[in-house]
Amino acid sequence: MTLKREEIVQTLEKILSPEQVVTELSVLKESSIDRFRRFEGYHGVYLQPFPAAVVYVNNSQEVSEVLKFANENGINIVPRTGQSATEGGLETAAENSIVLDGSRMNKIVKIDPYNMQATVQCGVPLQKLDDLLREQGFTTGHSPQSKPLAQLGGLVATRSIGQLSTLYGGIEDMVVGLEAVFPNGQISKIKNVPRRAAGPDIRHIVIGNEGALCFITEVTVKIFKFFPENNVYLGYTLENMKTGFEILREVMVNGYRPSVARLYDPEDAAYHFSHFSEGKCVLIFIAEGAKPLADATAGAIREIVDESGACTPVEPKLIQRWFENLNWDPSDIAEEKKEIIETKNICNTTEISSNWDRIHDIYEVCMERIRNEIPDLTMLGAHSSHSYLNGTNIYFVYFYNVVNCGAEEEITKYHLPIKKIVVEETIKAGGSMCHHHGVGKHRTHWIKDEYGSSYYMLKTLKDAFDPNGIMNKGTIFPIED
Amino acid sequence: MKVLTCFKVVPDLTLLTDEDWQVVNNQVDVGFVKNDWNPFDESALEMTLKLSELSESLSGSMELTAVSVGNKKIDSFLKTLLALKFQHAVRIEAEQDLRFNPHQIAAWLAGYVKKSHQDVVVMGVQSGVGDNAQTPLLLAEKLGWPSITQVIGIKPEKNGCLRVTSQMDDGVLEQVIKPPVVLSVGNAPNSFLRVPTLKDKLNYGKKSVEVIIPTDIIVDNTTEAEIHAPKLIKLSAIENQRDSVKIQDGTPSDKATILFNRYLKQRLKKL
Ligand SMILES: Cc1cc2nc3c(=O)[nH]c(=O)nc-3n(C[C@H](O)[C@H](O)[C@H](O)COP(=O)(O)OP(=O)(O)OC[C@H]3O[C@@H](n4cnc5c(N)ncnc54)[C@H](O)[C@@H]3O)c2cc1C
Repeated sequence: MTLKREEIVQTLEKILSPEQVVTELSVLKESSIDRFRRFEGYHGVYLQPFPAAVVYVNNSQEVSEVLKFANENGINIVPRTGQSATEGGLETAAENSIVLDGSRMNKIVKIDPYNMQATVQCGVPLQKLDDLLREQGFTTGHSPQSKPLAQLGGLVATRSIGQLSTLYGGIEDMVVGLEAVFPNGQISKIKNVPRRAAGPDIRHIVIGNEGALCFITEVTVKIFKFFPENNVYLGYTLENMKTGFEILREVMVNGYRPSVARLYDPEDAAYHFSHFSEGKCVLIFIAEGAKPLADATAGAIREIVDESGACTPVEPKLIQRWFENLNWDPSDIAEEKKEIIETKNICNTTEISSNWDRIHDIYEVCMERIRNEIPDLTMLGAHSSHSYLNGTNIYFVYFYNVVNCGAEEEITKYHLPIKKIVVEETIKAGGSMCHHHGVGKHRTHWIKDEYGSSYYMLKTLKDAFDPNGIMNKGTIFPIED
Repeated sequence: MKVLTCFKVVPDLTLLTDEDWQVVNNQVDVGFVKNDWNPFDESALEMTLKLSELSESLSGSMELTAVSVGNKKIDSFLKTLLALKFQHAVRIEAEQDLRFNPHQIAAWLAGYVKKSHQDVVVMGVQSGVGDNAQTPLLLAEKLGWPSITQVIGIKPEKNGCLRVTSQMDDGVLEQVIKPPVVLSVGNAPNSFLRVPTLKDKLNYGKKSVEVIIPTDIIVDNTTEAEIHAPKLIKLSAIENQRDSVKIQDGTPSDKATILFNRYLKQRLKKL
């Protein structure tokens, strides 16, 4: 029997307290979408079913009780923390959903410098944790552009990655242990050890689940010594992306680990570096860590770049100032909103990855197709920002003017057709359609192609942990009739 | 009607760190941060485009020219304006630091206005790099034209007139005027310039930027400009600290009441 909206709210108020259950219409509207539909939201268009309530939980027990109630009554749960999601992960796709907000669970539980790990609740903002660590000479090493916005629960749930990933890894390399609550109310804690061979690594069931399997309540991450004074900034301009990918590959396969390794195509470079790129590609490295390591890494990269004979060095300060201002805080979001409303010009992105042998082909074909097939583009660029031994990512960035259509058509006229091109071309070339923003609700269409025969394993996780399908309907797993 | 919009490209000073604020050779080095439209000029440019659109149905099209003073680094900005359908994009060639020399800029602009027979000049009130807030008035003086300051809106009227809205200390003034006029744009509600499509960049951006050598438009103002050229000698930081009080006791509602009664009520009354 499905419960009515009022019954859901009443029960939630009993499980928690009335103060924790928010039903104000404006809050419900805004909680029905995330940044994927921000153009609609900025124009007052809300097409998703409004949730029954947004509930603020204070501890794992409360999470457990809310989940149990939802599970027993088939109510959709949308977990959230920092609300910086970009792929529709926060859209309330089902009627009378409960948005389960963990942002009040914001205690830093323990900083353990001897064992080099920090334990925090899911609602701790990454900026807060990292600032605190840096005061003590440490860092999480995690630096997504959304660092001033995102919180640890969401960062783990999306398998996020930061700008320093080439040295410190993605969040999956940082998480030591965690606590998660499953739809049946089960609270599971994975202990914090350096490594173990006691069966499969179950952390990976939780990391990247996007709220579609469980709710993350606590996370323990590694911490690293922080030596900003040793940072070496390197920047170059060069003619083409192909050479740039080759240089990135050379750095990686020779075992060097700069924290930042980024390659911008001419359009994206003109957007970020108009003051020096002069229509060329831009290649950037930052070497960091203990001084001998940082110096050796920078020295080796200089040699590799010099040997290519293709690059012109630029003043390191140009790179340093750019890097220091890369992150987005709430004031940037507010400014962007104003600009979008005034100009009807909006930026969106799609990020993919592939092995070295196909990355340039993917870049070329996507750029060509988007340029030819999509109307009203005002900018189309791309950069590689996370490199690995066997390949790298591409982050396609596109701005377009939304013209001759209503706000509700922005996604179907522009964003989704672009995403479709990027995703289909990437999967065709054997790459992955999602590098770090998660699948959300708008790439689920291709999830079976993404996984191939291993989709069996993914689907079995969903069936096992969320048999009633109450966790973030339509996220990762498509809604099927 | 020929409308000239003057703009300046400025470094984004918010990207500088404290250590960057040093005077070396009478300059602060701002070369390593990104440049952008001067915000007031950005409003002026968008206002001009809107004015032109509105006038099309009323009194026929306008001839739009955008002009800036500087070296070829600003050409990409001028190209953007061509893509936005300014018919002419003009750069008055200058390599020197003119941040604190509105007299020089105004003299060159006046020279160009006369040479190209403009009817209306639209420009931002000031730019963050020199903060002189003098160029529009100096330009009006050199041209012998009237000027309206703190403009926040321009609309076309019949018979070659313009309806200009501007902010005054005690309200908003709307007046219908007959050009010539220099309009100095203040805190306009619309502050962003529209963005040209890649297609328009390709189609219209091909037109080249007209480069003008100052000696072609001006003859004898060098002495005046030199007299007025100040030099940057010293910088001192502005104290940005504010006092703060923490309202500690009571429920959120109590705290809100205290906040309102003690701090907000008086301010609201003033408004
Ligand atoms: C300006 C900007 C820059 C960005 N840059 C980067 C970047 O550099 N790298 C990167 O990886 N991402 C980036 N992102 C994307 C986004 O910030 C990340 O995905 C981030 O991890 C989301 O964290 P959050 O706390 O905001 O999560 P939310 O937005 O609240 O949620 C994100 C997803 O995780 C789920 N979720 C949230 N909390 C929990 C929980 N406690 N348990 C289970 N599921 C949960 C939600 O249901 C949703 O599907 C950027 C976003 C913006 C707006």
